[in-house]
Amino acid sequence: MTDSDYAKTTKPVPNIVALEVLQKNGVNIDRLKELITKGVGAEFTTYYYYTILRMHCTGLEGEGIKEIVEDARIEDRNHFEAMVPRLYELGGALPRDIRKFADQAGCPDAFLPQNWEDINSILKVLLEAEQCAIRSWGEVCDLTAGKDPRTYDIAQRIMQEEVEHEAWFIELLSKRPSGHFRRKFAGQSPHTGSQGSLIHL
Amino acid sequence: MLLQICRSEEIQDSGWKVFTINSIDFLIGRRNGKLFACNNSCPHRGASLSKGHFNGDNIVCHMHGYEYDVFSGKLMNMKSWKKDSTWVEQSPEWRKSGDLVKYPIFERDGLVYVTLP
Repeated sequence: MTDSDYAKTTKPVPNIVALEVLQKNGVNIDRLKELITKGVGAEFTTYYYYTILRMHCTGLEGEGIKEIVEDARIEDRNHFEAMVPRLYELGGALPRDIRKFADQAGCPDAFLPQNWEDINSILKVLLEAEQCAIRSWGEVCDLTAGKDPRTYDIAQRIMQEEVEHEAWFIELLSKRPSGHFRRKFAGQSPHTGSQGSLIHL
Repeated sequence: MLLQICRSEEIQDSGWKVFTINSIDFLIGRRNGKLFACNNSCPHRGASLSKGHFNGDNIVCHMHGYEYDVFSGKLMNMKSWKKDSTWVEQSPEWRKSGDLVKYPIFERDGLVYVTLP
């Protein structure tokens, strides 16, 4: 039994036109489900590890970035929420065991560095995590562009926020000029959030 | 299933092309004059190997920098996450990777053939 077989119903399932259309469009649905499962795994683990990172944003410098880390933390959780329903629509399922879920995640764990009192060391971990997420959702976008508008729409919304997160952390590390001001509220998710009606905020 | 994939000249040295057959992406490339064929999905986390680059005879995945020998398919370099001396290494389970999924390939009379499952 595979990780997702537990989620299969014993009742007969009628022909799913939404999947039939994807197959006719040439989408490799098995690969898509695999990439989505890894992508949402990375979002979920990142949410967890960002919680720890945020707790260690202390002192004058740490306090300055705490709210930004919080935005990224909540928005990564929102990405998980936004994409998981699509995974099930495609006939996929989250691994039953959260340990397996974490081990198969598409991005490495954003572990707290040993020298966390140097705020730049935390920023570097955050930046690395966002950059991996951009690559991860870029794969889903590439696989679905022009073939699976529903998955593509969700993935590109997630990717837009990941790109913004990357920009924030680059700006904080390099002082590069920026168009970034602030979210209207913590973890607003302007692309995957209420504007997209994908999650309930 | 033996398939004629393309003309030999379409696969330049130190280059590759992706061919999609039955919704599966296959990477066909050439290195030092020798052809290779593998599944385009990285055995570590499924990224498209076609977005990577060569390091010697290894293909380097763009996602996590894992390297696989394009001829043997073997994992040659599992990148460390200790980029900084204070960074903590990833768990062994997460780091694990299989080898490339390889396919027999040859060329004859200016045409490239691959045996696919």
